Amino acid sequence: MIEVRNLTFSYGKDKEALKGLDFTVEDGEIFGFLGPNGSGKSTTQKILTGILRGHGGHVSLFGQEISKAHTADFFEKIGVLFEYPYLYANLSALDNLRYFSSFYPSGQLRDIGEILEKLEFKPDFLKKPVASYSKGMRQRVSMARTLISNPRLLFLDEPTSGLDPSGAVLFRRIIEEERKKGTTVFLTTHNMLDADLLCDRVAFITNGNIAALDMPKRLKEKNSSRCVRIAYLYQGSRREKTVETTELERGIFFPHDEVISIHSEEPTLEDMFIQYTGRGLS
Amino acid sequence: MKKLFCVLFKKDIRMMLSGKFFFIAFGSLVIYTLFINFGYVNFMNDKLYNVYVYDPEGTRQEASGAAGKAGEVKAVASREELDAALSADTNGVGIDASLSTPKIVMYAGSEKVDRHRADYARSLLVLRSRYSAQPYPRSGSRHSARVVGTNTRELKQKKEMCCELLFIEIVAVGFLGIASVLFKEKQMGVIRVHAILPLKRSLFILAKLVVFLLSDLVFAALMTALNVGINGAGDILPAMLVQTGILSIIMALTGFGCAMLLPDFRQFSLAYLVIAVFASVPVFLSANTSVKMAWIDWHPFYQIYMGLKGACFGTPVIRPSYYILCACGIGLLFAAVWTAFRREMGKEG
Repeated sequence: MIEVRNLTFSYGKDKEALKGLDFTVEDGEIFGFLGPNGSGKSTTQKILTGILRGHGGHVSLFGQEISKAHTADFFEKIGVLFEYPYLYANLSALDNLRYFSSFYPSGQLRDIGEILEKLEFKPDFLKKPVASYSKGMRQRVSMARTLISNPRLLFLDEPTSGLDPSGAVLFRRIIEEERKKGTTVFLTTHNMLDADLLCDRVAFITNGNIAALDMPKRLKEKNSSRCVRIAYLYQGSRREKTVETTELERGIFFPHDEVISIHSEEPTLEDMFIQYTGRGLS
Repeated sequence: MKKLFCVLFKKDIRMMLSGKFFFIAFGSLVIYTLFINFGYVNFMNDKLYNVYVYDPEGTRQEASGAAGKAGEVKAVASREELDAALSADTNGVGIDASLSTPKIVMYAGSEKVDRHRADYARSLLVLRSRYSAQPYPRSGSRHSARVVGTNTRELKQKKEMCCELLFIEIVAVGFLGIASVLFKEKQMGVIRVHAILPLKRSLFILAKLVVFLLSDLVFAALMTALNVGINGAGDILPAMLVQTGILSIIMALTGFGCAMLLPDFRQFSLAYLVIAVFASVPVFLSANTSVKMAWIDWHPFYQIYMGLKGACFGTPVIRPSYYILCACGIGLLFAAVWTAFRREMGKEG
C-alpha cells in the first residue's frame, strides 16, 4: 500500500527534516509512526498525503509514485484525520459533513446518520453549530468526516486526543473495524497505549531517522530482561522476589504461603522508545 | 467541476452571511446614498464664505444687485460691526466700502486661499453684466468655457461622489471582506482540510472570487441606480460594471494573498491600512485636486479609478492595452495567490 525508500526532505538549506526513511505499509495493516515533536513524523505524513512536495527518494502509494498521484482519484481513496478537529465552527455537524462529503462521488459515501450514531454523537447537537461542541464532540465529527468517504487508506493523527477514556475505547474499536474491512491505517501518535493496542507494527522516528521498526510485542520481547516479579505472603509478612522466567519452568521454587501477584518485567513501548531514540515522547 | 464549484460557492455565501458581510455592505450602501443625496449635493451648493459689506452709501450693493440676493452678502451698519462679524466668523470676508477704494478685510490664512476668498468676495460685488458665475457662460464672455456632456451640475456631483465611494467600498470594504472570511477559515483550520479533498485548489480560489465579484457588481449596480437614477444608470452601467469587475477581482486577489501570507488579523490590519492608503490617497489627490504626482500614470489604481470615472461619465476606456494589462495583472496575482494558498495548506496545525 505504502512504499517509502530513502525519503529525504528539507525545509531550507540547513533544515533537513527527513534523512532517508525506509519503510513499507502492507494492505490492511495498522502502522504506527511514533516520535517526539519535531522528529519528522508530520512532515512524513504531509508527504504521504500529497500536501508537501519537493521530497527526495521514492514514495509510492497504491502502487503509484506520489508525485504523479496528486489527482482527484488519489484523494478519493484517502481519509485524513488531523491532530485538531478542523471544522466550520459556524456550521452544524450535519452541514459540515454534507459539505465535505459533496466532494466525493456519491457512490462511495457512507450514510451520515449511521456513521454519527456509530461514533456515539449526541443527536441533540446534530443541527447546532460546531462552535457549541466540546472537544470530544468535535473529534467525533472530525472522525466522521474522515470515514464518510469510505477511504482505502486512513491517516490518523492523534485520533484519541481530546477524548475521555470511553471515547478512546470507542475510537480504537472503530479503527479496528476499519482494519477488518481491509482499510490500511497510518497512525501518528504520542499515545503509547493506542500504539500498543492497535498497531501491527510501529516505527520510532527521531531527528528524521527511523530508530526502530517492528511489531510492538517483538520490540518489547527483544529488550525484555526475561524476569518476573512475584509478590507473596510468607509467615505473615508481604515479600517480593524477582526471578528469571527459566527458573519458573518447574513452578515457584521458593517457600511461600500465598502468591499475591506476578508481574512481568517486560518493558513498555514507551521504555523502548526512550531506549531507541534517547528521547521522551514530548 | 460545476457541482463542486456550486458547493464551494454556497459555502462561501454562508460564511459571508455569518460574518454579516452583506449587512455591512447594505449599511454602507444606505449611508453612501444618504450622504450623496442629502449631504454632498447640498454641501456643494452651499456658499463658500460669508461676505460682510460695510457700505454706508449703498453704492456697491446697488451696482452688484447683491442686495436682492438674500444670504450672498450681509450688510453691516458700522466698521465695528464688520470687525465683530469677522471675529465671530474667521473664514468670512469683509469689504469696507466706506472709502473711495473698497478695502478687503479678513483674517489671514494661507496665501492661495486668501486670494481665492478675496476674489470670491469681489465677484459678488461686481456688475452681473460684466461677470458670470453661471454654469453655462454666455458666448462672448471673457470667462466662457466649453460644456462637455449633458450632465446637470447636480448629476455631475452625484456621479463624482458615487464613483469615489464605489471605489472606496471595493478597495477598502471588499478587500477586508474576503480577508476576514479567509482568516476565519484559517483560524478554524479548514483550509488544511481542503488540501486532502479531491478538489482543484484553483476552484477554491475561483469560487471565492466569484462570490465577491458578484457581491461587488450588485453593490455597484444598486449604488449607481440609487444615486444617478435608473434612467441615467442604464446607459453607463455596463461600462461601470466592467471597471468595477476589474477592481473587484484585483482587490479580492490582493485580500486573498494577504490573508494567506500574514499569520493573523492584527498583522493584516496594518497591511490593510498601507494598501488602502496606497490605493486611494494618491489616486484621489491626483484625480480630484490640482495636486499632480509625476508618477501617478504608473499607479495601477489611478488608471482603474479613471476608468471607473470615465465609465460613469459616459466615456469608457476603449484602449485595448488597458484591458490587456489588467488581464496580465489579474493573471499574475492569481498565480501568486495560488502559490501562497498551497503554502498555507502545508503549514503545521
